[in-house]
Amino acid sequence: MLKQDNASLAPKKAMFNGAMPAASPLRAPDGYWRLGDRDGTGLSLLIEKRSVGVNMLLAVALLLASVAYLSLGTTALDPRAVIQALAGQGDMMTVFMVQELRLPRLVAGCLTGGAFALAGILMQTLARNRLATPGIIGIDNGATAFAVASVVGMGVSLAPSAMALTGAVTAAVLTFGLATGSGTQGYRFIIAGIGVGAVFGAVTQLMLARVGIDTANAAYPWTVGSLNARSGGSVQLLGIGLAVGFVLAFGLARSLTILRFSEATARGLGVSVNARRFQILMLSVVLTALAVAVAGPVGMVGLIGPEIARALSTPRHVPVLAATLSGALVMVLADLLGRTMMAPIELPVGIITAIVGGPWLLWILMRPQRSRP
Amino acid sequence: MKALTLTRRVDTRTLIVSLLTALVAVSVVSLLIGAGSVSPSRVVAMLLGADDADARFVVWELRAPRTLIGLAVGMALGVSGALLQAVTRNPLAEPGLLGVSAGAAFAVALALVLGASAATLRIPVAQMGALAGCLCVLGVARWRGVGNDPVRLVLAGAAFSALLGALTSLILFFDQRSADEIRFWVIGSLAGRRLDDLLAVLPTIVVSGVLIALLARPLAALALGERMASGLGHHPRLIRALIILCVALLVGAATAIAGPIAFVGLVVPFVARAFVGPDIRRTLWVSLPTGPLIVLVADIVSRVVVAPSELPLGVLTALFGAPVLVAVVRARRLPML
Repeated sequence: MLKQDNASLAPKKAMFNGAMPAASPLRAPDGYWRLGDRDGTGLSLLIEKRSVGVNMLLAVALLLASVAYLSLGTTALDPRAVIQALAGQGDMMTVFMVQELRLPRLVAGCLTGGAFALAGILMQTLARNRLATPGIIGIDNGATAFAVASVVGMGVSLAPSAMALTGAVTAAVLTFGLATGSGTQGYRFIIAGIGVGAVFGAVTQLMLARVGIDTANAAYPWTVGSLNARSGGSVQLLGIGLAVGFVLAFGLARSLTILRFSEATARGLGVSVNARRFQILMLSVVLTALAVAVAGPVGMVGLIGPEIARALSTPRHVPVLAATLSGALVMVLADLLGRTMMAPIELPVGIITAIVGGPWLLWILMRPQRSRP
Repeated sequence: MKALTLTRRVDTRTLIVSLLTALVAVSVVSLLIGAGSVSPSRVVAMLLGADDADARFVVWELRAPRTLIGLAVGMALGVSGALLQAVTRNPLAEPGLLGVSAGAAFAVALALVLGASAATLRIPVAQMGALAGCLCVLGVARWRGVGNDPVRLVLAGAAFSALLGALTSLILFFDQRSADEIRFWVIGSLAGRRLDDLLAVLPTIVVSGVLIALLARPLAALALGERMASGLGHHPRLIRALIILCVALLVGAATAIAGPIAFVGLVVPFVARAFVGPDIRRTLWVSLPTGPLIVLVADIVSRVVVAPSELPLGVLTALFGAPVLVAVVRARRLPML
């Protein structure tokens, strides 16, 4: 049942709406599979064919990218040897390289990419604006500023993860607080976020300017976004967080779909708008913070992942799983590029995603407006 | 009606005089205070004739050039901000936010990698880059009417700046030598800049100053609308092109000396308009002393807060500029220029 993203539980009564061919109430609508309940007495499950296909496609792509990620690098390995090494067989050196060096980094990349993209699509849906990703509205910067504060040893000595969380929440509260007058919609909200982000960016610079060069170098990965300097503990925390967050987001999927319409419509359809909004916001903020604690601000993934997912999926649902998978895919590919493009110099993944994501952002801004969020 | 205009005029004049006084005071303070060990009292004693070689060196070789550069940079950034806002009719337009500074920084990084040495080529290259960045963002703005929405224009500029920033750091990653040469320049600061740089950009600053003086009236007419300006005998396209050229020259000059410094071009016209209203000529007059005032105050603060080390100026301007950005956006109606 892993592929039941975008599936909706359809009680029998709901089958009698206008879109249905009235002849047979038990037939699934076009483009859906209907599971369970052969005789039409209990619950049945509708699964969108296209979303299954899209998610399969993304999963296969992610798998291929992962194998490529494990094989390529300063020392190129044979993909077959890599797969053997994953099982612990073969050359000791290869096993060490795959299991101890590349695999943890691959896992960290997948998790951060997925978390950024999931947070991105949640925030975009919440704000009904495809530009409103945590990276753009300053939450990344807030988390980074606080994480850097803990690295350079200012204030309370909390772990970077906890500090990143504090920072992300602070930035989110500031942005949303400052934007209350203009509502969460529209571009003003985003500009308020850019302002908040600029302040936190400046604070980060300020802290880096105050400390010695060694500490500043230790904190450098935080400022560009890199998978190089992750700590094991924060990766595990992110793994747990992403798993829980994904389940929660999945539970929110129906509300997310409805929240894309106007607030009045959502209320009329029985969504408790304010409670749901708060949950979505918190989920997005927590996911961003956990991901920043691992990899620093790679926020562009939160823009690119959902874009890919939306381009592939139908507009019927908010593609939660597809966005997560695309985010992981983008992150893995970007880091692979960063590792191999100028080997032995390693480019931080944040720079790669910024170079890919910047033009994309411009393109979104310049293309003719459409109503779809 | 006439009386009203008169009081406005007098107001503007006293305002400018008081701003100039403040500017002189701040310049003196800038000579007195520093991150180093030379205290204000030693500076005063030296100025009164005491024989103090250390103080003389610090004041005349370090702080005086720095103050002069701060004056020039502040003037250039403030005025170019006011001009860019008038031309784009957008209260959020700012050279730093719209990618002009990022364009200049990118051009310099590129030139360094291609083998130019930092000392010789920097200024013309930075100005070319600023012009290219300017044209790119304004081209985007013209295309499909993004520019009609002030906020979307800023977003486009932010995206463009982020892209160029990433490319710049990519180049610096490539080439350790240029990274060393450029590292202190990309931050945006007045510390350790040489007076030669200021002399090198002085001609362009003067040229654009003269151009702006000639264009101020037509620009004010342009504020009435393109047709009205044509009816009054002006050429809107020509005016706009020349103004953008001036902005690029000024921002390129400021960026070439001090590195990218954001938000000054946003804050200065904002403050000026708050005092004298939307007329571009008055705004320009008030921006002229306000820009250096803000830059110098920020620079002095940057020397003091983390003494004995210094803070990059760009950090400070972001700290007080970002809240202004938020304030402008929060205003219930964006003032249309």
